[in-house]
Amino acid sequence: MESLEEAAVMAQTAEFQPLDYTRYDFKDPETYKVRTARGLSREIVEQISALKEEPAWMLDYRLRAYEHFVERPMPDWGPDLDCIDFDAYTYYANPLAEGETKRRWEDLPADIRNTFDKLGIPKAEREFFGGVGAQYDSGTVYHRIRDDLKAKGVVFTDTDTAVREYPDIVRKYFGKIVPYNDNKFSALNSAVWSGGSFVYVPPGVDVGIPLQAYFRINAKAVGQFERTLIIADKGAKIHYIEGCLPKGEEVLVGDELTPIESIETGRAVLNSDGEATTVEKTMVRPYDGDMVHITPVSKSNAFQLTPEHPVLCVRREKVAVSRRAKGLPDVDPSKLAAATPEFVPAGELKPGDFVHYPVNRTENDDPELGTAAMNVLGYYLAEGCTQMINGCEAVTFTFHIDEREFVDRLVEGIRELTGKTAWTNPQPKKHAIVVGVYSRALFDLCETHCGRLAGSKRLSQTMMELPPAKQQLLLKAYYEGDGHVYRRGGTVHRVMTISRQLAFQVQELQARQGVFATILERAPFKETMKDGREISHHTLYTIYHQVGKRAHAVHRVKGSFLVPIRKIHRTPYRGNVYNFHVAGKNNTYLVKGFSVHNCTAPIYSTDSLHTAVVEVMAEPYAKVRYTTVQNWSKNVYNLVTKRAVAMESALVEWVDGNMGSKITMKYPSVYLKGRGARADILSVAFASAGQVIDSGAKCVHSAPDTSSKIVSKSIAIRGGRTSYRGLLHVAKGATGVKAAVRCDALLPDEDSRSDTYPYNEIHEEDATITHEAVVGKIGEEQIFYLMSRGLSESDAIHLILMGFLAEFAKELPMDYALELNRLIQLEMTGAVG
Amino acid sequence: MAATPPVEHTLLIQGLHAEVGGKEILKGVDLELHTGELTAMMGPNGSGKSTLAYALMGHPKYKVTSGTVKLDGKDLLALTVDQRARAGLFLGFQYPQEVSGLSLSKFLWTSYMQRHTAENANVEKFGKDLNSNLALLGMDESFLKRSLNEGFSGGEKKRTEVLQMATLDPVFAILDEPDSGLDIDAVKAVGDTVAQLQNPGVGILVITHYQRILKFVKPHRVYVMVDGAVALSGGRELAEELEAKGYDWVKVGLAPPA
Repeated sequence: MESLEEAAVMAQTAEFQPLDYTRYDFKDPETYKVRTARGLSREIVEQISALKEEPAWMLDYRLRAYEHFVERPMPDWGPDLDCIDFDAYTYYANPLAEGETKRRWEDLPADIRNTFDKLGIPKAEREFFGGVGAQYDSGTVYHRIRDDLKAKGVVFTDTDTAVREYPDIVRKYFGKIVPYNDNKFSALNSAVWSGGSFVYVPPGVDVGIPLQAYFRINAKAVGQFERTLIIADKGAKIHYIEGCLPKGEEVLVGDELTPIESIETGRAVLNSDGEATTVEKTMVRPYDGDMVHITPVSKSNAFQLTPEHPVLCVRREKVAVSRRAKGLPDVDPSKLAAATPEFVPAGELKPGDFVHYPVNRTENDDPELGTAAMNVLGYYLAEGCTQMINGCEAVTFTFHIDEREFVDRLVEGIRELTGKTAWTNPQPKKHAIVVGVYSRALFDLCETHCGRLAGSKRLSQTMMELPPAKQQLLLKAYYEGDGHVYRRGGTVHRVMTISRQLAFQVQELQARQGVFATILERAPFKETMKDGREISHHTLYTIYHQVGKRAHAVHRVKGSFLVPIRKIHRTPYRGNVYNFHVAGKNNTYLVKGFSVHNCTAPIYSTDSLHTAVVEVMAEPYAKVRYTTVQNWSKNVYNLVTKRAVAMESALVEWVDGNMGSKITMKYPSVYLKGRGARADILSVAFASAGQVIDSGAKCVHSAPDTSSKIVSKSIAIRGGRTSYRGLLHVAKGATGVKAAVRCDALLPDEDSRSDTYPYNEIHEEDATITHEAVVGKIGEEQIFYLMSRGLSESDAIHLILMGFLAEFAKELPMDYALELNRLIQLEMTGAVG
Repeated sequence: MAATPPVEHTLLIQGLHAEVGGKEILKGVDLELHTGELTAMMGPNGSGKSTLAYALMGHPKYKVTSGTVKLDGKDLLALTVDQRARAGLFLGFQYPQEVSGLSLSKFLWTSYMQRHTAENANVEKFGKDLNSNLALLGMDESFLKRSLNEGFSGGEKKRTEVLQMATLDPVFAILDEPDSGLDIDAVKAVGDTVAQLQNPGVGILVITHYQRILKFVKPHRVYVMVDGAVALSGGRELAEELEAKGYDWVKVGLAPPA
C-alpha cells in the first residue's frame, strides 16, 4: 500500500489537461410519442384535431380561433411581448400516445413518474386531495378521482376525454365563458389547446376535499396550452388547485456546504486542488432536460448536474486489469495511482469510474485553541450542549455511566480552559453522568466553534483550517465521546449526528487525516411510544470508516481521493441551473466535495410559452374556489385567461399566486350575472430580477345586489416589476352593488417597480365602491426593531415579507405554504442590506 | 440539577460619545449597571436619554464616536444588533414598530428561540409564563393572534413591550419612556409589572421624563442626564425632588431651589 501511495505522489505532479470546450456542446434527445412540426399553421391545427379524433364542431372552432389569432394584433398595452416568436414553438408534444391518459400511477413511464414524484404528487393524492391530474407538455399523463366522489357523480378528467365522453356538457359551456376572440392568447389557446382539467359537480354535491392538477413544461420551446372547464351545478361546492414547483445542489465553500443558488461573487470556494479560490462571476440559466445524478460509494455525497457539466475523474476502463464477464472490471492499483484525472462530461460517466475528492489544504493555526480546547470541544460535539441556567451561561455534557475516564479527562480540560471545577452529577436511573460548568468563556467558545443545537452543530472556519495534528485530537475526543468503535471484519470507527453540516465537515477533517469516511443517511421517521407519545426522529448521519482497510475501494492519491461511482441515473428537470467562474487557472469547484469544472454549455435562448384558458361556471347558489400557485421557471411567458360566471347567489373565489415566469399577464375575472352573486379575488405577485408580473382582477357586475372584493398583494425585489391592472364594471340596472379593491405593494429596494392601473366603469349611482392602494418599503426602523429581539437581518426581512403575504399563505395547502416560505427565503438571500 | 446563585453581571459604559446625522448628542456618558438593580434615568427633553438607549442597542443611525460599552468585560459595541440581543440586552421602544401579518405569539416565540436552544426551550413554561404575564399586564389573550402592534393603542404598545421583556428574560433591559402617553391606570399596570419582573438575574434601566412611573417601579438609583452626560445621581428621593422643582436648576448646574 505504501508503494502505491508513493507512485500516486509521482503521478500527481502532472498538470490537469486543458479543456476542449467544443465537446460539451451537445443536447439530449427528448422522447415524445407524438409531436407536431415546429411552428403554427392551419395544417398544424388540423393535425392536432385529427390526432385527438375530435368531432367536427371542435375542429371548426379551432380553425375559426386560428384565423382570429392570425388577424389579431398583439396587445398594445402591458408588458412587451415582441420577443415572442410564435414560429419558434412546438405546439403539440405528448410523451404518451394521444388518449393514453393513465389512471394508475405505476403505469406512467419512469422518468415522468420521477418528475412528479419529486413534486410529491402520489403522496399528495393520498393525503390531501380528492383527485389529482398531471400534465406533461401537451399530454395529460394522469388523472384520477376518489371513488366516493365518482359515485356522487363528480367528473374529474382531462378535457380531451371530456369532449369524447361528455359532449353535451362540454358543448354547452366550452368557449361560452371565454370566447376565442376575447384576446389574442385566448384565440391561440382555442386553436391549439390540449389537456387541462374538466370538472363537473352535480347539483347539491359538496366536494369537501380539493381537486388538484399539476402542470409541467419539459421540453424547450414547447408551448403548453391547457384548457380547463369547471362547472359547479346548482348549490354545488368545489375547490380546485393548480400548481407547479422545482430545487438545489450544494457547493463546498471551505467551512460549509451552501446551496449553489445562494453563492455570490467574491465568495470563497474550494477548487480541485483543495485550495480556496474566489467566485468571479455567477451564472444562472434556465434549463430543460435531463439531470444526471451521481452517487459515489458514500451515499450522502450524491450530487446532480447537467449532462454536459465536466467532472474530474479517472475512467475505470483506463485503469482496469481485465474485463470480467460480469460486473465491474478490477482495477490495477498502480495504473490508478499513475492515472491523471481528466474532465469528462457528467453524461458520459459510468458506474465504477472514479470521481476526484480533493483534500482541503487551507491551514491556519490558532494558538488559542490548544490541546485542552480540542479535547473539550470534541466531547462537546459528541455530548455537549450550551444553555442558560438561572440566567447564566452554562455548558453541560451527558456521558454514559461507564465513560468515567472521559469524564475525568473532560473535567481536567475544563479546568485548564476556564480555571473552574466542573460539577459532575451522576444520574444512575438514566445511566448517565452529567458534567457541567458555569462559564461564559466556555459557552462562547463552544458556540463559536461548534454551534449550539444538536441539529445545527457545525465547526467554525477556524476549526476547519487548524493543522491536521490538532484536528486529530478533536476527532479523537469526538469519536470517544460518541462511543462507537466496533469490530466487524476490522475495527470500524463511527460517529452519528443529526447535523448534516457537521457530517460533511467530519468527512472533510477525516480526509485531512488521510481517511475517506463514508456518510450514511437514515431518513427521519416518527415513532409511537407505548404510552401513546409520538417521538420524531431527525435525519441521522453516520460517518464511518474502517481502520487499516481501504473501505469500498476508495483510492488515495496525493492530496486527494479517487472514489468509485456506485450508481448513475437521470431524471428530467426544468428550472434554473446555477454555475460560476472561479479565479485562477484551475477553474474548478467542488460539489458535495467532488471536483467539477465550471460549465460552458450552450444556453438555450428560446423561451417557453404557457397560454391557458380557464372557464368556470358557478350556477345558482354554487361555490367555487380556484387556487393557483404558479412557480414557472424564469424563461416562461405565462399568458393566461381565467374567467368565471357567477349566477344567482353563487360565490366564486380566485386565489392566484404568481412567483415564477419571465412575463405573466393574468387577470382572473368574475362576471356577476345573477342577483346576489359574490366574487372574492386574492391575487399575489412576487417578481425578482428579470421578471415582469402584470396581474390583477376584473369584476363585472351586471346584476343587482352583487358584491366583489379584490385584494392584490405584490412584492418586487432586485429590479423585478409588478403591476396591478384591474377593472371594476357596474352595468346599468345593476343596483345595490358593493365593491372593494385593495392593492398593497412592497418594494424592499430601490431598483424594483410597482404600478397600479385601476379602471372603474360605474353606471349606477348607488354603487358602493372603495379603493385603497398602498406602496410600502421595509423600513430601517422595522428591521432594527426585529433585530433588537435577536433576529438576524435576513430573518427579520423574511418575517416581514411573510407577514405581508400572510393573508395569502393561510389560504394555501400546507405544502404550498412551506414552498412559498422557502422560495422567499431563497430570493431574499443577499437581496437587501 | 441544584440551583446555583446567579452570577452578577455588569454593564459598564465609559466616556460614551454618539452622534445622529453628524450632530453630537452624547458627550461622554459614564454609567454602571448591575443585575439585581433597577436604575432610573431621568432628564429633560433632548438631553440624550433615548439616544443612549438606541446607541446601546446599536441603531444604525446612532453612531458611537468614542467610548466603550462592556457587558461583563465583553465589547458590546463590536456586536451587531441581533448579537447584542442574544447576549442579553433588551430595548423596550418608546415607539414600537408595526408588522402586518406577523402575529404577536409567533413573534414572541421566534424571539424567545433566539435566546434558547432546542434542548432548553420549554414550550409549556413559555405558555404558562406568557399567560401569567398577560394577566399581570391586564391584556387579553386575543392580543396574541393580532398582528404585531398593528392597530394597538399607545398603551397597548407599551404593555406589549413589557410583555416582550418578560418573555425574553434579558440580562439587561432598557425601557425607553415606558410611561409616555399612558393614562394613570396604564402607568400603574406597566410599572407594577416591571417591579414584579425585577429579580437578581436582571438589571433594568427605566428611562423617563416623569417621576410618576417611579412610584411603582421603585428604583434603587436615579440618574439625571443633561446635555448628553450624566449630571446628577441620587436615591429615589431625587426623582421626587425633580418632579417638584423641575429640571432647570440641574441644567444650569445650580443647587436646588429651596
